[in-house]
Amino acid sequence: MNGINTASGLMPPDSASGTTLHTIVAVMSFLACLTLGAVLTLSRLASEWTEGLSGSVTVQLLPSPQIGGDDQLSDALRITRAWPGIFAARALSRDEAMGLLEPWLGEGNVLADLPVPQLIEVTLTPGRQVNLQGLSKSLNENVPGAHLDDHQRWNRELASFAASSEAVGWAVLLLITLATLAIVIFATQAGLQAHREIVEVVHMIGARDVFIAGEFQRHFMWLGLRGGLMGLGLATATLIAISLMWNSRDAPVGAQYLPQFVSAPQHYIWLLLVPAITGLIAMFTARMTVLRVLGRMP
Amino acid sequence: MVRFENVGMRYGLGPEVLRDISFSLEPGAFHLLTGPSGAGKTSLLKLIYLAERPSRGMISMFGRDTGTMPREELPPLRRRIGVVFQDFRLLDHLTVLENVALPRRVMGQTEAQYHADVEELLAWVGLGNRLNAKPPTLSGGEKQRVAIARAVVAKPELLLADEPTGNVDPDIGGRIMRLFIELNRLGTSMLIATHDQRIIERLPATRVLKLSEGRLATTNEPLQPEAMRA
Ligand SMILES: Nc1ncnc2c1ncn2[C@@H]1O[C@H](COP(=O)(O)OP(=O)(O)OP(=O)(O)O)[C@@H](O)[C@H]1O
Ligand SMILES: [Mg+2]
Repeated sequence: MNGINTASGLMPPDSASGTTLHTIVAVMSFLACLTLGAVLTLSRLASEWTEGLSGSVTVQLLPSPQIGGDDQLSDALRITRAWPGIFAARALSRDEAMGLLEPWLGEGNVLADLPVPQLIEVTLTPGRQVNLQGLSKSLNENVPGAHLDDHQRWNRELASFAASSEAVGWAVLLLITLATLAIVIFATQAGLQAHREIVEVVHMIGARDVFIAGEFQRHFMWLGLRGGLMGLGLATATLIAISLMWNSRDAPVGAQYLPQFVSAPQHYIWLLLVPAITGLIAMFTARMTVLRVLGRMP
Repeated sequence: MVRFENVGMRYGLGPEVLRDISFSLEPGAFHLLTGPSGAGKTSLLKLIYLAERPSRGMISMFGRDTGTMPREELPPLRRRIGVVFQDFRLLDHLTVLENVALPRRVMGQTEAQYHADVEELLAWVGLGNRLNAKPPTLSGGEKQRVAIARAVVAKPELLLADEPTGNVDPDIGGRIMRLFIELNRLGTSMLIATHDQRIIERLPATRVLKLSEGRLATTNEPLQPEAMRA
């Protein structure tokens, strides 16, 4: 009795048109997932960069004749730590500061004699609006040689870059969605053409239109959903691979100073929308097409 | 149970393939529909199983005028009719058992409700050992018997069969006809389209409808009762 599978319904489990539909949906879903992943990441970056770079700023202390190095450092730390909204302030050691410069200046003893400015890494309390301009002014007035670098210019450029990329991404996503829609509709109709005999026979045997439409829409929903999930799986693997590459040694110089181009876990939940949508499109197309075909029969 | 009044039918914009057809089918009776190839036998059956609409005239089924019935009331009517199509129209991707079970599934029955009936019926037509075969692997006569089993599995009140002995040898043809006589005895009204002269002579048909060139020529009254023993 192994040939009997009542759960399979009236439709052939895998027809040629089903495989084509599958593949097409998988490819379109892959592209849609990648674009959506990119758009979501860009959108996050754009807002982060607009708000202030990943919640950290730097205080630079240049040697000044008016004040000794130790006093300069402790004054700057005291003022910064007391400022509302500052989570932590930490002086970087000379080694750490040199480490930051290395990618640009190269490794080796060239740096040994170079006057490297003392740096203070300031972490902002997450989610709080901090008056960085006030802090900058206070440092300028009270500590000679101190200068707050809030990465503003760098930020603004990145933010506008991210925003325009995001806009392009949405446009691409829209195009891919439309193409997916058209292709899924087309492939579903082609698939139905191959199953016309089933529609006719079952109709003449006395099936109601909703019964036939139900069988077809269930079959095509699974096709669309499975194709969509395959695309999602591939896209997820690709996004994870990109994230890993970005974090590895092979990443381009300077990549580690950018906020990570990594999809946040909640982004993958949004990506789940893609197979759900491909499944629904295939389902509704099948339903509409079958009902139209049946409507022409007495 | 079926009444035609001045029915005409054409395919699309073509010529009328049926003209001025008037007759009625009696409950419990055995009817034959004969006539040369192209006379319109299949077209007439299509009108009865509601696959085509007449271009004029009135058709009443089980006491209701089908011309004025809303579309959604036709499926229950179709379920009261079993059809053996001239070209069988089995679904190749389903097994013999699933094909035969189709009318019961369409009625909303579950496998538990129909499985035993379907198996019993297939054993009765001599296909008890081919339950899980797919139609493309069956011989012509086996396909014919699957088609017949599918037509009767939902215990229709009227059975239409289009050339049911068309592709089989006389031996199987005789068995199929005995099957029909048996079904008729159990209460099913019959309308068999055929131009197989041997069958016409051997059957207990109460009425013979003779078609030629789209017109109903004569309506004969019963043949000799000895034919029952054939
Ligand atoms: N789908 C169709 N479209 C157009 N014309 C058709 C169609 N089906 C049948 N016809 C025409 O209608 C006429 C009657 O055909 P029908 O199939 O009813 O004959 P028949 O008596 O069943 O013949 P046979 O004994 O060969 O099966 C023929 O002239 C045929 O060409
Ligand atoms: Mg015919």
